[in-house]
Amino acid sequence: MEQSDEALCRSVANREPGAFDLLVERYQERAYRIAWSIVRDREDARDCAQEAFIKLHDAADSFAGQAKFSTWFYRILVNCCLDSRRRGRGWRRLLVWRDADDADRADDLVERQPAPPDDPGERMDEDQQMSRIWEAVETLSPQQRAAVTLQYREGLATKEIASVLNTSEATVRVHLHRAFAALRQRVGGAR
Amino acid sequence: MTAHPVDRLLPHLRGELAAAERAAVDSHLAGCAECRDAMRDFAALAALVSRAPEPAPPMHWGAFRSQLHAKLERRHRPAGVGRRWSMGPLPAALAAGFAAVLLYLGVLGPGGTPPGGDQATLEGQVLAGRLEVVTQLDLVQDLDLLEDFDDIDGLDSPAPSRDS
Repeated sequence: MEQSDEALCRSVANREPGAFDLLVERYQERAYRIAWSIVRDREDARDCAQEAFIKLHDAADSFAGQAKFSTWFYRILVNCCLDSRRRGRGWRRLLVWRDADDADRADDLVERQPAPPDDPGERMDEDQQMSRIWEAVETLSPQQRAAVTLQYREGLATKEIASVLNTSEATVRVHLHRAFAALRQRVGGAR
Repeated sequence: MTAHPVDRLLPHLRGELAAAERAAVDSHLAGCAECRDAMRDFAALAALVSRAPEPAPPMHWGAFRSQLHAKLERRHRPAGVGRRWSMGPLPAALAAGFAAVLLYLGVLGPGGTPPGGDQATLEGQVLAGRLEVVTQLDLVQDLDLLEDFDDIDGLDSPAPSRDS
């Protein structure tokens, strides 16, 4: 029978051989995917994911088991990503984030805009929308991207995302609503 | 009409609202076409985000784990172990600059003044560099003598005739 994440984390805390590797293999792709969704840079995402695993290794004994392991680990991971962003590795990403911050402020304008016109001739088919959806996600702020990824790719509830982002549920709702309002504006709806 | 419950539309779609909140949103939706449109678009976008292929660049997971273990080992290595030659470019440049300053101060002294403080000492240092010539002085003098011998030897030769 497969060991639960929580049990594996306890094994890591007890420095049982192989436990850390097993947990890494179980979470490496998710960790990298989430990190990439926030930092949008391959090397930074890899570094952030690895840093999160190192912190997991060192702090495994502080996992109390009250929350799910995934929530606890995602919190470490997202903090690593946001710290990386704050440190501002490289002018190129700084510019991207600046754009994202501008986009964040522009959200208020987006919300005041009327819904896109209901014109069947302007509707994109689903393939086109899929190809554009991630381009539109890139324009979101890191917090919005994190919330969208955690909810719609990793399946976390709003309450869990609030725990990961160390904020209130109300704030997560605002992040998500602003993100979807921006996506709707840029990609269009489904009418 | 009540204010648009914009930040509760997505939680409503996910079934995350408590009963009272859900009822309030439903009541608003019944009379607000704008929010109904937004709700329908949000549902379609949520489905797209969930299904759209992940655009993250590919990663070699074996290399990822190897690098992770290397970082972990480096992080937990006792201070100083294996770091003898790990000086980065900036510290190395600073160390080289510091060494150059020390050399300058040690040999010439600040302001270009020699350590001894006078010209005679500097000349002494220059002469010391030519010490080999001084120690072989006898040989040098002998070479001069050999040149003199050539001149002396030529004294017995008949002088060239002015007629020829």
